Amino acid sequence: MKTTAYSKAAGLTLLLVLAFIAGWELYWRHENYVLSYNDDESLWASKRKLIYQSSPARPVLIGSSRIKFDLDLSTWERITGQKPIQLSMVGTSPRPMLTDLGNDKNFKGTVLIDVTEGLFFTPTGSFPEKEAINRVTAYPKWSLSQQISFQINRILEANFLFLDAERLALNPLLNLLPIPTRPGAWGGPKFPPEFAVIDIDRQTKMTDAFVADTAIQNKVKAVWLDIGAHSPKQAIAGPPLLEILNSTKQSVDQIRARGGQVVFIRTPSDGPFRQIEKQMFPRELYWDRLLAHTQTPGIFFEDYPALTGFQCPEWSHLTPKDAIRFTEDLIPIIEKKMSRSIPRSSSSPTKKNSSSL
Amino acid sequence: MVFNSYTFIIFFAVLLGLHNLPFSWKVKKINLLLASYLFYALWNPPFILLLWLSTVVDFYMARLISLEQRPLRRKLLLTVSLVLNLGMLSYFKYGGFLLENFTALLSPVGIVFQAAKPDIILPVGISFYTFVTLSYTLDVYRRKFAPEPSFLNFALFVTFFPHLVAGPIVRPEDLIPQFKTPRRATAEQLSWGLFLLSLGLFMKVTIADGLLAETADLIFSLPFPVQTLDAWMGVLAFSGQIFCDFAGYSTCAIGVSLCLGFVLPENFRYPYAAIGFSDFWRRWHITLSTWLRDYLYIPLGGNRHGSVRTYVNLMITMLLGGLWHGASWTFVIWGGLHGLFLCIERLWRDWSARRRAKVTELVVEGSLISRASVIPPVAVSNSFTRFGLALLTLFLVNITWVFFRAPTFKGAMLLLLAMFGIIPNGATMLTNLAILTVSIITVALIGCHWFMRNSSLVQLSKRLPWWAISLGWTIMLILVILTQKSSGSFIYFQF
Repeated sequence: MKTTAYSKAAGLTLLLVLAFIAGWELYWRHENYVLSYNDDESLWASKRKLIYQSSPARPVLIGSSRIKFDLDLSTWERITGQKPIQLSMVGTSPRPMLTDLGNDKNFKGTVLIDVTEGLFFTPTGSFPEKEAINRVTAYPKWSLSQQISFQINRILEANFLFLDAERLALNPLLNLLPIPTRPGAWGGPKFPPEFAVIDIDRQTKMTDAFVADTAIQNKVKAVWLDIGAHSPKQAIAGPPLLEILNSTKQSVDQIRARGGQVVFIRTPSDGPFRQIEKQMFPRELYWDRLLAHTQTPGIFFEDYPALTGFQCPEWSHLTPKDAIRFTEDLIPIIEKKMSRSIPRSSSSPTKKNSSSL
Repeated sequence: MVFNSYTFIIFFAVLLGLHNLPFSWKVKKINLLLASYLFYALWNPPFILLLWLSTVVDFYMARLISLEQRPLRRKLLLTVSLVLNLGMLSYFKYGGFLLENFTALLSPVGIVFQAAKPDIILPVGISFYTFVTLSYTLDVYRRKFAPEPSFLNFALFVTFFPHLVAGPIVRPEDLIPQFKTPRRATAEQLSWGLFLLSLGLFMKVTIADGLLAETADLIFSLPFPVQTLDAWMGVLAFSGQIFCDFAGYSTCAIGVSLCLGFVLPENFRYPYAAIGFSDFWRRWHITLSTWLRDYLYIPLGGNRHGSVRTYVNLMITMLLGGLWHGASWTFVIWGGLHGLFLCIERLWRDWSARRRAKVTELVVEGSLISRASVIPPVAVSNSFTRFGLALLTLFLVNITWVFFRAPTFKGAMLLLLAMFGIIPNGATMLTNLAILTVSIITVALIGCHWFMRNSSLVQLSKRLPWWAISLGWTIMLILVILTQKSSGSFIYFQF
C-alpha cells in the first residue's frame, strides 16, 4: 500500500465532488429551475401518518393526479384553517387506499375520493393499482431510520434544486439521450419537465412556463394520446365491475360505521379527453351506478355551474389559478353534500379575489 | 438502518467521532455495541429482543459446553442452542412455508385444513446472525477454541453492525481477536475504508437500483411471455443487480469496518469470471459457502465415504443452501440446480482425470496412434478456452437466477421458455435504452471480473497513480449523488 496515496486521493475526491455539486446546483439556479419535492414513499407515508387528525375541515384526499392539481390545499387552508391530507397518487386508482382506510379501525375521518373513471374502474390488481398497493403495504414498515432520513431529506430538498429525482436524477437525464424507439416497445409516458412541480404537502402545480407555452401543453396532450393508445380499449363491465362496486361499498361502509364521511368528486376534464371518457365510461353506467351502489354523495363538475367553465390547458388538469377558484367553489358544495358545515378560519375571508393573486 | 441513507451518514459520522476520542478501549467497545443495537433497532425495535436472546443463550451455552466433560450432556447443551437458534429461524422464516406445504399435503388425502394465515414479519438479518452464533457454539463444542470469557467481546462479535444484517458471515476467529486490543484506523485505512464504502454504494445505488432494478422487476413481474431478447435482458439485469446489490453491501460493510479499524473477511471475488461451479462458489458469498462446507457438508461426511455419498452430500448442502435464501420451492430448485451442476462438474473432472491417466499410460507405452484416438482433454490453460468456460458457467448461473428471482415456478418456466425461443411472438417490453443499459453493464461486469479474476482491488490500486484512484472515486460518488434513487433496502435483507 502506497503511503499517503489513499489520503491524497480522498482529499482530491472531496474537492472534486463538492465542486461538482456546487456547479450543478448553480447551473440549475441559473436556468431558473423551479424547486420540486420528490413524491416518494416517505413523503406519502408522512401524510398517511396524519389521517387520524382528519375531520370535515381536514379531509383525506385519495385519487389520482386530478385532485392533486385541482384542489388547492393552501386555498382550502385559508378558508377552513386546516390543510387537507393529500394521499392521492398520480396515475393510480384510489381503491387500494380506500381499502386501507376502510380496514384501519382507528380512522373515522372524512374522505374525498377523486374519480377518474379510467383509473378508478380498472380490474383489481391491474397496473394502476400496483403503485398504490406498494405505498399502502410499505407504510407499516416505514422504519424509524427511514423517518429520520426523511426529516433530513426534506431539509436538503427544500434548499437544493438538483435533488429533484423526478427530473434531474440519472434516469430522467438518460431518457433525454437521442436513442431511437424500439418498435413495439413502450417506455411509459414522458412528460416535459416543465409540466408540473410538487410541494412538501404533495400539491402538484403546473409551472408558469407550462401555463404560458402552448407548445409544451401540446406535448402533454400528445402524452395523453400516447397513454390512450397503450390503454385497454374496452371499459370494465359485468362481474369485474360489480366486484369493484362491492369492494368500494364495503370500504365506504366501514368508514361510515365508525362515524366517518365519504364524498366522491369528479373534477373537470375537457377536449378530446372528455369525449373519450364520455364514450368509454357513460355516466349512467359508471358514475351514477357508483353513487347508487355505495349510497354515497358525489359531486360531478358538470352538474354545478360554478365548477364548469374551466379550461384544462392539456385537457385533464386545472391551472394553479383555476385550482384556487375551483377549491373555493367546491367547499360549499361539499358542505351541502355532507349536510354539515365545514368550520371556517376566523382569520381569513371566505373567498379571496382571484384577481388579487 | 441501511448504508444508503442519510440516517446512516449521521450515525456513522457520530460513531467515527466517538471511536477516535481518547476513551478507554472498553468504553469504545461499549459505544460500538450500543451503536450496533441502535443500528438494528431503527428497523424494528422489538426484534432486538431476539438478538439479545440469541446472544445470551449462546454465550452461556458455549461456556457450559466447554466446562462439561460428559459427552451426552455436551450434546444436550448443544441441542438447546441449536433448537433455540434454528427454532427462531424456522418460526420466523419458514413458519408460513411449512404451514402452506402441510396444508397442501393434507389436501390430496381429503383432509381440508384451513390454517389461519400466519402474520409473521421476518426479523432483518436473522439468517445471518443465527449462522454467526451457531458457528461459535459449534466450534466451542468441537473444542476448536475456548469460549470467549468477555460477554462484551462476544456480544460485539454477534452484533457488530457492519456485518449484522447481511454479512459477511463472520467466524469467531475473524472478529473476536480484533476486539481484544485497541483498534483505530490509520489515515490510510480510513481513506481506503471510505473508498470501499463509496464503491459499495455505487454498486448498490447506481448500478443495482438505478440502472438495473427496473428492467429486472418489469420482466420478472409479467404474467405473459416476452420476446427472447427481452427475457434475456431481464435475466441479465437481475444477474447484475443481485451481484451489485449483495457485493455492494459486503463492500460497504468491509469499508465501514475498516474505517473503525477492523477487518472483515472478503465475501466476493469476481464470481462472474468463475470457471465452473466449484470455482463460482469459491467466489460468490464466500462466507456462506465456507460456512455450509464446514458446518454441513463436512459433518455430513463430505467426500470421505465414497463417490455416491459425496454427490448426495453435495446435493443436500446445496438444497439446504437454497432454502436458506428463502422459504419457497423456487429457492430449493435454485439450490438443487447449483448442486446438480456441481455434481456434473465433479463427474466430468473425475472422468477427465481418469482419461488423462489413461492417455499418460498410452504415451508411456509410446503409442502415438492410440493417444490420437482419444478425445484430447480440454486445454484449460488456453486463455481463450478458459474465457469460453467462464462464459458457459455464467450462462448456467443465469439459468439458475431465473428460479431465484421468479415469484413462482410457473413464472420461472414461462421466462425460461421465452429465453430459449420455445414460446414465439412474446411481447416486446423493453426500450432500446433499457437494452443498451443492461448490455453495457453486463459486458462491463464480465470484462471487469475477467480482468480482476486473479487480482484484487488493493493490488490494482498499487498499480494506479493516486489521482487516477481519485478520478474513479469522484465519478462513482457523482453518479451516486445523481442517481438519487434507491430501494432503501438490500435484496439479501429478506434472506
